[in-house]
This record gives sequence, structure tokens and C-alpha cells, in this order.
Amino acid sequence: MILSRITAFLLAAAVVLMSLPMAALAELNLELDDPNIEPMPFAVPTFVAENAEASAFANQIARVVAEDLTGTGLFREISKDAYISTVTNFNSPVQYADWKAINAQALIVGAVNMNGNNVTVKFRLFDVFSGAALGDGLQFGGTTTSWRRMAHKVADAAYSRITGEGAYFDSRVVFVSETGPKNERKKRLAIMDYDGANVQFLTDSRSLVLAPRFSPTGDRVLYTSYESGFPKIYVLDVASVGRRALADQPGTMSFAPRFSPNGQTVVYSLSSGGNTDIYRMDIGSGAPVRLTSEPSIETAPSFSPDGKQIVFESDRSGNQQLYIMSANGGEARRISFGTGRYGTPVWSPRGDLVAFTKQSGGRFHIGVMRVDGSDEQLLTSSFLDEGPSWSPNGRVIMFMRESAGAGGEVGLYSIDISGRNLRRVTTDGGASDPAWSPLLK
Amino acid sequence: MATGHYISGIGHGALLAWALIGGLFSRVPEDKMEVAEVSIISSEEFAALSAPQPAPDVVPDVPTPPQPVIEDTPEPPVVEAPPEVPTPPVEETPPPVDVAPDVVEAPPPLPDPVEQPPEVVEPPVDNTPVVLAPPATTSSPRPAPRVAPTPVEAPPPDTAVAEEVQEVAAPDTETSTPSEVEEATAPEEATDAIVTEADEPPSSAPTRSSRPAVRPQRPTPSVETAAATTDSTRDAIAEALAEAQQDTAAAQPTAPAGPPMTGGEKDAFLVDVRRCWNVGALSTAALQTKVVVRFEMAQTGKPNVGSIRMTGFEGGSEASAKQAYEAARRAIIRCGATGYKLPIEKYEQWKIINITFNPSNRSLR
Repeated sequence: MILSRITAFLLAAAVVLMSLPMAALAELNLELDDPNIEPMPFAVPTFVAENAEASAFANQIARVVAEDLTGTGLFREISKDAYISTVTNFNSPVQYADWKAINAQALIVGAVNMNGNNVTVKFRLFDVFSGAALGDGLQFGGTTTSWRRMAHKVADAAYSRITGEGAYFDSRVVFVSETGPKNERKKRLAIMDYDGANVQFLTDSRSLVLAPRFSPTGDRVLYTSYESGFPKIYVLDVASVGRRALADQPGTMSFAPRFSPNGQTVVYSLSSGGNTDIYRMDIGSGAPVRLTSEPSIETAPSFSPDGKQIVFESDRSGNQQLYIMSANGGEARRISFGTGRYGTPVWSPRGDLVAFTKQSGGRFHIGVMRVDGSDEQLLTSSFLDEGPSWSPNGRVIMFMRESAGAGGEVGLYSIDISGRNLRRVTTDGGASDPAWSPLLK
Repeated sequence: MATGHYISGIGHGALLAWALIGGLFSRVPEDKMEVAEVSIISSEEFAALSAPQPAPDVVPDVPTPPQPVIEDTPEPPVVEAPPEVPTPPVEETPPPVDVAPDVVEAPPPLPDPVEQPPEVVEPPVDNTPVVLAPPATTSSPRPAPRVAPTPVEAPPPDTAVAEEVQEVAAPDTETSTPSEVEEATAPEEATDAIVTEADEPPSSAPTRSSRPAVRPQRPTPSVETAAATTDSTRDAIAEALAEAQQDTAAAQPTAPAGPPMTGGEKDAFLVDVRRCWNVGALSTAALQTKVVVRFEMAQTGKPNVGSIRMTGFEGGSEASAKQAYEAARRAIIRCGATGYKLPIEKYEQWKIINITFNPSNRSLR
């Protein structure tokens, strides 16, 4: 009897279990891949001028915001001619239907107020199809001379809220400004906004300068100068433009410097007796520490974001390749194995990728790979691409490109790490060796 | 041994004796008899007792009881109007002072809700009484117990029957004297013909009950089963299966009805969603994140925006999943604004949809 009951129970359970898939079928389960990768359409109506004095800035600030976003290649501005609604009051309700009708997926509404020399900018971001604000409104204050920075900050906030990534518009780039023909180039350090505006020169053109690098706080710049006839490393204070040479050893050449993430240490290459190795120096004490001792050329060191490792280039294998070692030196492991020559590696601020220059098949490329050497992606290809530098958020790479021929131009370009949105950065004259600052405070 | 027989015999004998003579000593109840005293009278005395008596004399002047003197109703005291309460002066709201914020970055006040969702108007509760079908006029009237020159319909059930028809007295709104409430009456129900039992139409009611259907034959189990199971096991299995089938039948409403969606119909729907699925503004981390989005659909093919939610993600952080979900959500809403083209006859199949959005195959290309 008991056995029969157990058998009955088991059979009943089996029948019930068989009925479960029927209920699960009530929901349609699908999988979708291969998405569209297109710029997101957005609208930025001219910011509302809350007083007459502010009207001069209202349109300019809105324009900079729009250019920042469209410059990423991730956004597309909808022409004002298509607008159905106009925004005349910052606090007016948003007519979502009007913005939906023109397919604006994001809407930025802002207002500008001017009081004497002080400018106040506030904005709100709306997700049109969700019919809600994306985050709280924000307000920035500053002087009339900093209105572009305030515009960049508005764009930064909008960019971060939509993409989920860190921002980079309120940042600067230090670079080598080049003038004159190729055989008689005059080079000097310059600094500008990330978009090429507000260029200021930091050095004169009497001596050759190379490879400027920002400190982690953006207030100092390391660079190499041939002022003494030999390459030598200098530290320049951006605000005062004052500079001083790092301690060096007589009879050596030092170059390719880069700050550690804490800004207290510098790694660089030192050439002595025909051999080039990597050294580390504490800026305060000036005491150097040798990190590599190979008969080959080791140069272009770059710290990982946590400061524990260094990626560099070396031809110890007989060919120029990329290696990673501890920040205290020691055995290095090779991470590049492709055909061609790899150089100028730079660790991403996110820590997951290394950007590099690759020479292969008679052309130069800017590429990225994972820190273990996998997933190598070549982003560009030209006669000469070199010197990649990461944006503060690790999404964009700026580099220099030089065209062929005696009259070839040299300029700065930027590209998204997806390989899209290759853009030339507008500069007066030639420019090379870009180095992106951290996000300004 | 004999002692037991003795005791038993004595006991039974006592019981029989009590049964036979126990009732002798009870009293038999006597029947009560009522006795009345009578007297004999003569026929004259009887005639005198049964003759009608003369009416009493009418007394002409009966003093009317004095009416109570009603004094003049005192006039109600004049109620003076309450003094006007002075209206407090309306405080003028001071204009907002436009103070420049001290903090450089401060969130400005959020606007009022921009688009208030329309208030959901509850459908009115259907209090309309159910209209019953009127009684059939073709059927013969119920034979009334009374025949009158003009047939009178049956009065309302609660109406009293009286010789004179009395309408319900409407309350007099002008006089303050309360009047007695007169209940409505109706004439007694009557008909214009006598309908005898022989004239009644044959009733449509069944004259006898039908026999229940014969129970179907239980299917004969296969030889192997019969050999492997006992009768009790078979009964238990049958009971369990019946219960399980009942449970399955109860779960049937959640199962989709109609034929399943074809691959072409699913592909067409995915093509529609993909048309609006744009990950161009996503972070690189979000581009590596799969998200599963669940939403409900209306029969019009439009997604229920409020039902869209992420039920899972894979390959990224929560922040990147949120960005990937937002892109997927925008896609569902945008391309579903005019309704997806889905077979309406299979609505139960696509009433609830789960889509796994996998953008990873397009990143870092």
C-alpha cells in the first residue's frame, strides 16, 4: 500500500513538472545582437539669457556644449531649423512630444545669468523618450574669461550622464608647436584647451623641445629640451611658466620622462656609454634608481594607473617590442608579438589597455591592446602616426600625424578607441607630441 | 459455577417480577368532568329576554369642554447679524530674491513635474440594474379567483387589496400639520374569463426525471501494466493523475493560446526593435554588457512603457548594465511608439516579452 502511494506521488509529480514548461512558454524569449552604432541625436536650444548682459554668452555657451558633444562622434546635434518648441524660460515644462517628433533623444536646457564680471550657468538634461530629467540640474559659476570652461563642464555632465563614462571636455593638452619647413622646424611648448582653443606658449623657440608630459594634477609639465646641446629633462610650472632641470649625471642624456600616478616620482630613459636604460627618480631628492640593465635600448616608460607596473619598449628581442615590468624593476614580460615594431606605449587611465605606435608594412599605426597583449586593435594607418596620449576618461586617444613629402604637415588628431571618429584638432600651425591633462578641478 | 446460575436466575426473576407487578401501584389518571348548573325558564321569559331593546334618549345640551386659550406666540427675538470679522490683510509674497549662490556647483531647483500623467479615470461602476426580460405576453394569464367586467392586473405584491382604489397620498409640503400616511390599495385581482383547469395549456415542465448517463467503461490497462500493478496501486495512480491533470488544467490560462509564433514573425519583430537599438553613445564597458529586458505588450502592439525593466545582466558592472538597459529601453519605446507588427491572433504568445540585448559583438571594431 505504501509502495503504491509512493509510486502515485512520483507519477503525479512528473505530470506536474511536465506542465511547467507550458507555463514558461507564456513569455516570449528572444535574443538581439548586432546593434546600430550611430550618434545619438540631441537638441541644445540657445540657453536662456536671464538678463541683457548674459545674452552675449547664452548662445556661445550652448554652441560650445553642442560642439563638445558632437566632437565625440557619439552624438549628433539636431538642427535648430527642425525645432518645434522654443525654450524661453528655464523652468518651463518641457514639451516632450515636440522633441520626440524631431527624434531628439536628449535635450539640454540651460540659462545664463551675468552679474558684473561673474557668470552663472545652469542646465538640465532630459531623456526625451523617457519623459524625465536625467539627474539633477547643475549650476556653475565663474568669471567672463572662464565661460568656455563652464560650457565644457556642462557638456561633461551631459556626456557622463548619457554614456556612463567619465568626462574629458574640461581638460587641456600640452604639445609641441611646430613652425617652419621640415628641415628648419622651430619647436616650442604650448598648452591649449582639449579642443584647440586658448593656445598659450610655455617656452620660446630658441631650443628644441620634445615629449611634454603632464603631472597627475595638471599643474606641472615634464619635457625634454636640447637647451644645453644634449637632451635634458625639465619640470615646468604651468601657472608661472617657471622651470627647472631635473638632477642629471654628467655625460649622460636623459629623455622620455613621465610622472608616476602620485606625482612624486619620474621614470625616464638615460643613455650612457651607448646604452639606454630606464631609471626612476624621486623628484624631491633627485636620487636615480636604475630599473633595467640590458644591453639593448629600453625607453618610453609609462606607469600603470596604480603605480605598480611600468610598460616600456625594448629591442632586447632583436626587434622593438612592448614589455611590462614591476615599478621597482626586475624581470619584464613581453606583451606584443605581432609583426612590425611597437613603440611609445602608454597605459590607459582605466588600466585595461595600452596604446602604442606600430610600424608595419611601411606605415605607422596607432593601436591598443590589453595589458596581457591580447585583443590588439589598430585604430589608424598613415605615413606617420606617433605619440598616443589618453584622454582623462580613457575613451579617446590623441596623437600626431605627419604627411609625406618635404612640405608635409604635422598636426594633432584624435580618435575614439572604437576606431571611429578620427578628427583633426584645430591648431594654428603644426603640432606634435600631444599630452592630455587630467580633468581640471 | 452454580452460584453464578443462582445469581443470574435471581436477577432475571426480579426483573420479570418488576415488569409484571411494578405498574400495579401506580395511580391511573382520572378523566376530569366539567359540571354546569342550569335553570329552567318559561317561553314568555325567553321571549322577553330575546326582544330588541329601545334606543337610549339623546341628551340635547351637552356642555362643550372649554378649549384651552392659546396665547399669542411671542415674536422670535431679532437675531442681530454677527459683526463682520475683519479680513486679515493678505500678505504679499515677497518677490524671490535673486541671490547668487555661494557654492559654485549647486543643483538649481527642479522644475515642476513637466508632464503630469493624466489622471487615471476609473471606469464608472456599472450600477445599471440588469434588465430582465419582460414576462411573455403570449402566455395565458394565471387564472384569477375573481371575474370582473374589466380584468384587473395583479397588484404589486405588497399592495393591500381593497374595494376602492386608493392612490398614495403625496405629502403636503405647504402645511406643517402632519397627516396620516395612507397606504396605497388596489382592487382585487380579476380576469375576464374563467380559466378552468381543463383549459390550462399543457405544462412544459418535465413530467419525469431522466436517468443519468451510463458511466463510461474504464479503459482496460495493458497486460504489462496490469501484471505489474495491483488494483490498489492502479486506483491510487488514477487518483493522482486526475489531481495532476486538474492542476494542469488550472494552469492552462497562463499557457499561450493558439499556434506558436513562427521564426519569421520573431525575426520581423527583432528587426523592428533593432532599427531603434542604438549603442553609439554607450561606454565601452556598456558595450560589453548583455542585459535582459522584460516588458509587457498591449494588443495594439505597443509596449507598456511602465512595465519595461531589466531582469538581469552579464559581463559588466551595474553602472554599465544601467547604460546598456537605457539604450535597450529607448529602442523598445521608440520603435514601439506606433505599435509593433505582431500577429494579433497570437497575442497570448507575445503578451510578455523578454529580450536579451547583446551588443558585445560590435565593440572595439
